[in-house]
Amino acid sequence: MNSPVKRISRRDFLKSSAVTIGILNLVPSGVLARPGQPGANGRFVIAHIGVGGMGMTHLTNMLRFQKEEKVRIAALCDADDNRLEAAVENAGAGPTPYRDYRYIIERKDIDAVVIATPDHWHAVQTVHACQSGKHVYVEKPASVTVREGQAMVAAARTNKVAVQVGAQARTAKGGWYTCRAIRNGIVGKVTRVSCWHYANPVDEKPVADSPPPEGLDWDLWLGPLPWRPHNVRYQPANFRWFLESGGGQIRDRGAHQFSTILWSMNADNQVSFTVEATGKAPTRGLWDCPVDMNVVYQFKNPDWTLEWGQPGNKVGQTEFGNVFWGTNGKLVLEWEGGYRPANPEAINFKLPPGGQEVYRTDEYEDFNMNHKADWFRSIREGHLRPAVDIEIGHRTATLCNLGNLSYILGRKLVWDGQKQEVVGDEQANRLLSRPQRYPYVL
Amino acid sequence: MNDTLRTSSPQPSPPEEERESTPALDDSPSERTVAGCSRFASRVMLLAAAEGTVSAAEGAKQPEELVATLTGTDEAAAAAACDAAPEYGAAAVRPLALAMANPDFEVARRCKRALYRIVRQAGRPGAKTEAAAVEAKLVTLISEGERAVQLRRDLLWMLSEIGSARAVPPVAALLADKELREDARCVLTRLPSPKALVALRKAFKTAPEDFRFALADSLRARGEKVEGYPSRKLVATKQTTVTPKK
Repeated sequence: MNSPVKRISRRDFLKSSAVTIGILNLVPSGVLARPGQPGANGRFVIAHIGVGGMGMTHLTNMLRFQKEEKVRIAALCDADDNRLEAAVENAGAGPTPYRDYRYIIERKDIDAVVIATPDHWHAVQTVHACQSGKHVYVEKPASVTVREGQAMVAAARTNKVAVQVGAQARTAKGGWYTCRAIRNGIVGKVTRVSCWHYANPVDEKPVADSPPPEGLDWDLWLGPLPWRPHNVRYQPANFRWFLESGGGQIRDRGAHQFSTILWSMNADNQVSFTVEATGKAPTRGLWDCPVDMNVVYQFKNPDWTLEWGQPGNKVGQTEFGNVFWGTNGKLVLEWEGGYRPANPEAINFKLPPGGQEVYRTDEYEDFNMNHKADWFRSIREGHLRPAVDIEIGHRTATLCNLGNLSYILGRKLVWDGQKQEVVGDEQANRLLSRPQRYPYVL
Repeated sequence: MNDTLRTSSPQPSPPEEERESTPALDDSPSERTVAGCSRFASRVMLLAAAEGTVSAAEGAKQPEELVATLTGTDEAAAAAACDAAPEYGAAAVRPLALAMANPDFEVARRCKRALYRIVRQAGRPGAKTEAAAVEAKLVTLISEGERAVQLRRDLLWMLSEIGSARAVPPVAALLADKELREDARCVLTRLPSPKALVALRKAFKTAPEDFRFALADSLRARGEKVEGYPSRKLVATKQTTVTPKK
């Protein structure tokens, strides 16, 4: 692959740029020199938890890694036997199928897991995998509540494992060109970043509750969520349109876009902000995510505003994207920096003398592969801080989750990121966590 | 946020400890009266009047019109009514809860969303009296055994967002109900009142053996040291029918 810059390993990058970009706040002393974890020098033994939808993309990626003799896929798991059967068929001989992910947690021969279950399962499965010493690649958004995200960060650190969150733009070219250009002043000082995105869907043909289909373990699918009868509008992929499980577009694409924006704005450590959301609730159906939604986040010192617009002000040509508004103009990023290339202005941007280089990995052209390669590298190099380390994923998810929280409460929230609490709002603070249905608990 | 129903010069809310020591308000028909309820109801009304929220809570807007719109066939009107539900305040809690049992699942869902809006409006900072009034209605409803289990489950979770110490005894009583005990446990885990912890401790001593593991988890989550009853969270139990490919 042709690269306009010298390739920098993440380990070297972390070492060389820690002071200038303040990343020491994210990397405790001693971590950079850690040796690799078990399996780092050989083929990683991998298990997939959740093999439908995006989980099947992950499996396809991992089959390629397996062909390249970098991994061995040992197990596949899904609460839905129908999906599991399709994955087993796809993977071929070798992996053991499971319905219950806890069999995978028990297995000591497995080095790492790829989690692509519905969002309400991410934290519980990630924490359990970390506690058994397994590295984790978990789909975005990291969590459905702030407290879950905190538990994920703690589990990764305590157990010294690498947790990569699947917001791939930080290892994709579109995101890299954009981040590099913005950080180095292509539009001057950025004061506002606005997102546009199409609406959440409406359940136009509501149906009554019904027994789960054969092969689906509804109890296991619900997991930590409070019990309720099965309805075909929940699954397979429709969990996304429920605030408590999927959180809508702001937690789906928003988790991608916000990750790229925080990266570009060098704002991973700017953890406090205010958030105010408004939205239009659906008028029918079981899904409860707002159809349209507008969320404004105000950051201080440096001052800038982040706006989630659904639909928002569509500036580019694609279904969703964002605009960096600076003192010297604007830069558009269509999609989130993964699937689509960056704006030509960003691609052609020349780094000024003394400019700040940005971490880049180019192992694979496919950004999904590249993101996983970055995760593997963080394990092999021993620093255990992949590009979208769980702490970054948690901070991104916090933006998404607090946007939804402001919407459901109908009021502005003042977020103290140091204390990880909403200032002066007891109800909001209660909703930063959700007690989980036993035994599906952190 | 709709603040139009609040007075322009709100009076201070009662201290939390005072509110929590007040007996439960029962808004249900007279045959379901609980000792001390009328005293609490009077107190809430007095405080609401002092706050200027009495018209919102119990007066000007009749909940019947809200429920009629939500249960009607005009979808746009129902959506607008749902948005406006907080204006009806605590007075609308019971009728909406009962409408959540409507056989038309779309009507039931609308009413649930409207009721959640009331709960979330009542839980805003500085509205303790409104929260207490809504809480009192929810407390009564969860204790009505004739209601559908799923309805009571939903109401329990609403209560978890605004419940005070006053909600603890009726929620704790549901720990003995096999169908509701898990939700009741979760609610007690969330309620910040120290009385919730006391209730969990007490239940742990007397609960059926199989439920003690869950109670132990709640106690540990609230910082208690629990002997025995190790967590079952990692015990795999579910078997697939899918076989490995040869």
